[in-house]
Amino acid sequence: MKKMANMKTLFDPGSVAVIGASDKQAKLGFHVMKSLTKGGFTGRIIPVNPGSHEIMGLKAFPAIADHDGQVDLAIVVLPAKLVPGVFRECADKGVKGIVLITAGFKEIDDLAGADLHEELAGIANEAGMPVIGPNTFGMVNLHADLNASFTPEFSQVKKGGICLVSQSGGISHLLAFMAMRMDVGFSKIVGLGNRLNVDFAQMLEYLMDDPDTKVIVLYVEGVDEPRDLIEATRKLRGRKPIIAYKTGSGTVGDQASLSHTGSMAGRHDIYTGAFRQAGILYTNSTENLLDAAKAMASCPIPGGPGMAVLSGQAGPGMASCDLCEAAGLKIVRFTGKTQQRVNELLPPLALRTNPVDMGPAWYDSSAIEGIIQAVMDDDNVNGILILMMFASANVDAVKGISDLLVKWAQGKPVISCIQSPPGIWDEQIRALEESGALVNYPTPERAARAMAALWEYSKIKDRMEQD
Amino acid sequence: MKIIEKAIKEGKTTLSEYESKQVLAAYQIPVTREILVNDVKDLMNATQEIGYPLVLKGCSAEITHKTEKGLIKVDIRNDDDATVAFKEIMANMNGNENAVLVQEMVKGQRELVIGLTRDAQFGPCVMFGLGGIFTEILKDISFRVAPLEKRDALEMMHDIKGHRILEAVRGMEAADLDALADILIKVGQIGLENEKVKEIDINPVLISGSKPVAVDALVVLDL
Repeated sequence: MKKMANMKTLFDPGSVAVIGASDKQAKLGFHVMKSLTKGGFTGRIIPVNPGSHEIMGLKAFPAIADHDGQVDLAIVVLPAKLVPGVFRECADKGVKGIVLITAGFKEIDDLAGADLHEELAGIANEAGMPVIGPNTFGMVNLHADLNASFTPEFSQVKKGGICLVSQSGGISHLLAFMAMRMDVGFSKIVGLGNRLNVDFAQMLEYLMDDPDTKVIVLYVEGVDEPRDLIEATRKLRGRKPIIAYKTGSGTVGDQASLSHTGSMAGRHDIYTGAFRQAGILYTNSTENLLDAAKAMASCPIPGGPGMAVLSGQAGPGMASCDLCEAAGLKIVRFTGKTQQRVNELLPPLALRTNPVDMGPAWYDSSAIEGIIQAVMDDDNVNGILILMMFASANVDAVKGISDLLVKWAQGKPVISCIQSPPGIWDEQIRALEESGALVNYPTPERAARAMAALWEYSKIKDRMEQD
Repeated sequence: MKIIEKAIKEGKTTLSEYESKQVLAAYQIPVTREILVNDVKDLMNATQEIGYPLVLKGCSAEITHKTEKGLIKVDIRNDDDATVAFKEIMANMNGNENAVLVQEMVKGQRELVIGLTRDAQFGPCVMFGLGGIFTEILKDISFRVAPLEKRDALEMMHDIKGHRILEAVRGMEAADLDALADILIKVGQIGLENEKVKEIDINPVLISGSKPVAVDALVVLDL
């Protein structure tokens, strides 16, 4: 299908026109131009505005037809009533895809908005042009240095393997800012807006073969054709993890319903069931969504639920154990060989079975290294949780285990909560994360929950592959 | 289906328990053995056919909440009791379509609910949960979109908090999960194949020994 072939060009264009480009800060067209130019886009940028000759140092054109060369992507930031004309010009010009930032179509009360929406869909579908929007902040392809949004700061998000497909501009901005603070990398950020002809299902179809995307994150409010989404997901057969967060958890069913089933069927319950059916991992907060995505982008999948919990201090270890068990993970018994090695390295007063309290060996980094090594080699262990709190006397603890962890490179998933006052271990943790040695979280509970999400995905993948 | 078409022609938005179960039975969903009777002579034939102990229920598409209206008599063990119960129920029906359902009394302590709802976007969706009085109190339910595969059916049973009720507990046999899964799949199929069926409640589905049986049912139609 032409539209799907054009999706690739839409996200990775050689040339981008901004229709409604502006050099006035009060206009969205200004911010879009800033996003493109400051975002480091290396392709051609073509500002279109009949009232300007030059915008941000670039030659501007009165109309898209006045530019001689090919235009791959058009970003449209014009009042709604002008958009149908512009769509026709884009179709004539052979534009491959459109980001329609303009609002004021189906979402407004006026019926004329819905008519306009249909008209645009007709033009775009006939020309085979996929359209992101209307009523969106736009989209960002970080690996292409393409920021086709009105938020230049999106370009500061680290390049990574997570693609966010979202129905809310606000949630997209929130997740992007959280990602910056948590040092989580994204491949793309896509604001679907009111989904003229690109909905979740089409995005999934495209992302299935997008080499930059390892994990797909969905923020869902409501879908017009949810069965398409389920179908598209099933086709993926668990090849890439899909994690969703849906708001609107009110359990209000149809009060006028004559049956119990009808009156109890909240949309949220149906969505949750449908997501499970489709093999989508379901989370219940923005934090869990991003935490799970971060783990899936960087960790191998555990081969079973068996966990080893290694902590520098007993409390954080207990906190993560509680959560592990509640989430279906198992704190396993070590093999005799591992247990013997741990017993050699720790004095009898310590908690030497799983969870291991490494406290008594805390100032002996070779003992800690030995314990971690023994656990890595244990066949009963499918994943390792490491919880270490800074103490003044153990400032070198992270350094002490770094080489071993980097060398092992997560032969099994390693998730940690290594915490210090700001500035002490931050750089070392960042280096460990970047080398792929572990994934770190600010609390033991979040670390355990992220591990549980990995195990959930492992089960989903197994199940989907059997289909 | 003929029962559904007939009800729609008559402008009914619900099927009676007897009719609802015929719809289920047409899809091989196990339902209680039952006979609809209008007089004492038919009643006696029916009691003999099904055998004591029995349940008698006032049966009409117009009447819901049968328990509150004194229209259900359970554990009837002989002809005299059956005749008394029959007359009481007929009197309590006040002028509604008069008929009494003579039903085998299924024994089982575990009550489940299986239902169908038609969502504007998802289409027919199947519900599973704890039945009887717990349905409304605990709302321990899960949904899947039809058509269901067997795996979906098994998973949705496991989704409810009280799923251990299906295991071998307190001397009871484990529930036959294959049979339950089959009912869930069939209910979805009814929704897919009958546009006019808006909702279905099968409540309770009793686990008798290990086998599920639909003891009460309601089919809601979309005119």
